[in-house]
Amino acid sequence: MGYLEEMAKYQKTEKQEIFGADFLEREQIDDYEFWDEIEIGKETVVPLKFEVKAEDMMAYAEGVPDDNPVFYDEEYARKCGHDGLVAHPLFGTQVAFFLLRKGHGSWIRTPGARNPGQILEWYDPIRVGDVLTIKLTGYDKWVKRGKYYMRYLTETYDQNGTLKGRGYATLILPKSREDVLKFVKGEHALEA
Amino acid sequence: MMADRLTFESVNCGDMLPEVKQHNTQELTWQHAVASLDYNPVHTNPEWCKTAQVFGLPVTVMHGNQTMSLMATVITNWAYPVGGRLKRMEVKLIKPVPIGSTCTYGAVVTEKHPIGKGKDFVALDLWAMDEGGENVAVGTAQVTLP
Repeated sequence: MGYLEEMAKYQKTEKQEIFGADFLEREQIDDYEFWDEIEIGKETVVPLKFEVKAEDMMAYAEGVPDDNPVFYDEEYARKCGHDGLVAHPLFGTQVAFFLLRKGHGSWIRTPGARNPGQILEWYDPIRVGDVLTIKLTGYDKWVKRGKYYMRYLTETYDQNGTLKGRGYATLILPKSREDVLKFVKGEHALEA
Repeated sequence: MMADRLTFESVNCGDMLPEVKQHNTQELTWQHAVASLDYNPVHTNPEWCKTAQVFGLPVTVMHGNQTMSLMATVITNWAYPVGGRLKRMEVKLIKPVPIGSTCTYGAVVTEKHPIGKGKDFVALDLWAMDEGGENVAVGTAQVTLP
């Protein structure tokens, strides 16, 4: 059984079932934005929306795995002082990967990308029924010791325009389309 | 020594949070890929990693956000049952974590910020350490407490 089939066994939610799991599929690379093309300062409001279902939130916690009942039992969460079922703090990862599939922001999917760190800020809890979107800003990019870094800002809003959270993420990326295509073929293409 | 009922008043600088320990496997990282929708082959495809060697290693590695999730779990285990909330987290991922590693995730309270009921928060130092005693990630967090 291949790795995609192995992972398919764990799919439980509607979004997981429709999401394309093969990040090496050649065709999708044509829709990516590469390090040498990224415009710093450019802001994009992603056109896709993420309607939050309880199954999405619970699936994230299960995948940590984290069995804290605040993530699975709404009544228990309310008794603890929360205003409903709680999303795991890193649930925004699922939201970002669901929404950022092509163009500006697609760098998070890039084969060969590395994650050296992040800053996350939470302002308002994500709740079941929220309809989320992301505003994305290319924040900075630089070269250091032959590695191609970029930093971007994601701001997540709900259907009322309430800012739910903000993330400053840094990535080390392959420099160009040609480098990404090498990785797609399984060749190493980072700095010497 | 922490009090039975966690509150902002009961917390002291130097309090250590209960650690979380996990032996990671490819199955756990596949589950995380499905949960996060981050199917990057560096985490999911052992055959591809043999030649692509993104981190200079011929093996799959944990997601950075998987490590961060487990660092956050140390806090949610501690604070969320009393209505606490993470408000900020900053993490530096120091080294890749090959599948098959066993890591321990911990935190210590470093600061108390008594700024008003409902807004009081504590600051913490966070770490994720591999079985060799090396930090694979370090960070800080701010957590509101009732």
